[in-house]
Amino acid sequence: MPTAVTVRGLKKSYGPVDAVRGVSLNICDGDIFGLLGPNGAGKTTLLECIVGLRVPDAGEITVAGIDATTRARDVQQRIGVMLQSTALQDKITPREALQLFATFYRNAADPAQLLERFSLTDKANATFDTLSGGQRQRLALAIAFVNRPEILFLDEPTAGLDPQSRRELRDEIARLKKDGRTVLLTTHDVDEAERLCDRVAIMDGGEIIATGEPRTLAAESASMQSVSLSTKPHIEANALTRIPGVVDVVCDGSRVRFRTADPRRTVRELTAWLEASGIELIELHVHRATLEDVFLRLTGAEQDR
Amino acid sequence: MIRGAVRQFVISVRLYFRNPLAMSYGYLFPTLFLAAYWGLYRFDRVPLVRHMGELLTVTVLGGACFGLPTTLVSEREKGVWRRYRLLPVPVGSLVASTMAARYILVITAGLLQIGLAMLIGMPPPLHPFDLWVAFTVVAFAFLGCGLMIAMMADTVPAVQALGQTIFLPMLIIGGIAVPLASLPQWAQHASAFFPGRYAVEALQAGMTGDGVGSTLFSIVALVVIGFAACMAGAMMFRWDEHERFAMRGDRAWLVLALAAWAAVGTAAEFRGRIATTGTASTAALAPASQPVDIPITSASPLQSLRATTAEVAAGAAPPSTPPRSTGAPENANAGPVSSRPHPTSWQAVSQADIDADLTFDNLPPDGGIITPIETAADQPDPSTAESVATLAHALPQWGPGSVSDPVQRVRNLLYVAAVPDLLQMDIERYVPAIVYERIQAQTERSELIKVLYWIALHPFDDDDQAVGDVAALGLPSASALNPEDVRARAAVYGVKLLGRLIGKIHP
Repeated sequence: MPTAVTVRGLKKSYGPVDAVRGVSLNICDGDIFGLLGPNGAGKTTLLECIVGLRVPDAGEITVAGIDATTRARDVQQRIGVMLQSTALQDKITPREALQLFATFYRNAADPAQLLERFSLTDKANATFDTLSGGQRQRLALAIAFVNRPEILFLDEPTAGLDPQSRRELRDEIARLKKDGRTVLLTTHDVDEAERLCDRVAIMDGGEIIATGEPRTLAAESASMQSVSLSTKPHIEANALTRIPGVVDVVCDGSRVRFRTADPRRTVRELTAWLEASGIELIELHVHRATLEDVFLRLTGAEQDR
Repeated sequence: MIRGAVRQFVISVRLYFRNPLAMSYGYLFPTLFLAAYWGLYRFDRVPLVRHMGELLTVTVLGGACFGLPTTLVSEREKGVWRRYRLLPVPVGSLVASTMAARYILVITAGLLQIGLAMLIGMPPPLHPFDLWVAFTVVAFAFLGCGLMIAMMADTVPAVQALGQTIFLPMLIIGGIAVPLASLPQWAQHASAFFPGRYAVEALQAGMTGDGVGSTLFSIVALVVIGFAACMAGAMMFRWDEHERFAMRGDRAWLVLALAAWAAVGTAAEFRGRIATTGTASTAALAPASQPVDIPITSASPLQSLRATTAEVAAGAAPPSTPPRSTGAPENANAGPVSSRPHPTSWQAVSQADIDADLTFDNLPPDGGIITPIETAADQPDPSTAESVATLAHALPQWGPGSVSDPVQRVRNLLYVAAVPDLLQMDIERYVPAIVYERIQAQTERSELIKVLYWIALHPFDDDDQAVGDVAALGLPSASALNPEDVRARAAVYGVKLLGRLIGKIHP
């Protein structure tokens, strides 16, 4: 399959901090590609280097077959970008913003159609400072579409949105998938990545530590399954570590989660121990490994909790 | 790309007019400045036009050194420019359209000031096209400086601090708020290194002077400063608030911008343009309507002249006294009556009359702003010298300077000295010597002494039609001037010549 984006050995430092350390990746045409990682992993820096907002210290970037480090403007003609937070002048209206941005591109979309597509027609003449967070994000996405882009770059597109706006935006991205667009989106929401993306790369500490389809990555972790339970009274995490096979115990309020390689035996031992201890079992679930499990295991975030 | 830049320009202009704060800074403050200047110089309609160069400079300076960088930095802090960076256009086009939009704001503010000033009696600019050219060049230079400030300041408060460090010195020692003539020598030299001085000179030349052609040095200086600043600003352009000025390696461009200021100042030093002349001395020290201290020892029409000029300046009705062209003593109409009789004709004037009625101790100094006369040390710069030579060449052929009536003839010639003085032209201090020479060449000394005494005591007699003919001498039209002011200045120049003739004044 043809490659939409190729990155080779990309490095970027801010003073003594290495934000991106020799990253390489390929994004195929028509893929929704998720860049997953905790805060500070280097996702945004990597994306900003690709779209031309930052100059990498080393490495090669090719977008739509064009060298992005030497022909950034040619690349910018063909891509759409939605930054983590898009700010415009306080008194500009969505209609004016779209008309303004459209004039800079050779293959511009009709601003009126974009307003309609992104449910902004009612707010077309409202000033930017009166728009809600969701409306601003939709406007940012509409601006990203203003040049009918071949490739879209979305940086944390749903961050900070209310559930309704988040759902609308996810529906819009799902529609892109249907349209066969190539999308690179960064997120730290594992569920979002799993639901939307064809392929994901997990980043941590400025490096890509895993790449693949969400299901494949999860399957690679299938040897470990996740168990969650709630009891009355609550139990301490260290009480469970005595049960054979229990690892990575996490207390999350009234619920306790752990992983095990042999769920049948471990659950049998667990229920016996609870009964012997006079602790009432209220709820118990055994989960197949998910992308979140992979993410937590690889990034070490679970241990940090 | 051009279409995008034009659209951005149009939208930027539109956004300014939607922003109440920008409107306040852009239009309310310039109006308040105008009101303040009018308050200072309200006693005469002419001085306001003489100070429009300073007023317009303050307006451009405010819009450029504060308005432009405040907008740019606040938008950068919000992330607006970060989004624009993703557009497939070069930085230069975005910067140019932003600056062009700001130019519209400052030029409309300038037009508002001029329009309001004309509504309250200011005469129109003598050279409107030249004024527009000068305004555009001044705006270019200061907008360049504003762009530099925006690139150096990390935050909006830093813009205010940096803006003040440029604004205040330029106001005080840069020839804008404080007249250069009243500054110490070191400050006059320092002012040559600030664009403010050149801005005032160029704008004033369009308002009351000889147009931009007479201030080419100032125009070139402003273009050089503006070009260097714009280039440096574009090269140092920062899209992102996280790119701090101190962390960037392109500060050498700042040196380029400052080098332009230094180059202009050095060129001014080498070309001998430090001394204050003409329009450079138009600042606030001495309004032209200030009653001239005429050296009268007894009640006479000249005493009423002092009152008259103040009254006219204050907008009062034209004086009913003294009566014009009577040729008779006007004691009856001139306030307190002297017990001593005055001569009834100029031929009857005696030395005793002069001794009794005139004193020469309180005349405005020759080196001052009112009725200045060149001293030996004064050397005009080349363009001023050319204008002086033109006038000297034309004066012998000037009709009003050759009429047969000696009183009218001397009056007419004295008007030639008075007009450049009232317009505060570069040549003002060099004209009296030429006029005096011409008067003395045409009138015998003893007769001239009597005539000058007569003019001093009867400044409003005869006619002043010759004031309307000074354009034939290469001077600008004097139509904006109050005829009473011209007569008053002519009378003082007459007394100064009289003092020289009878040995009371030793220049």
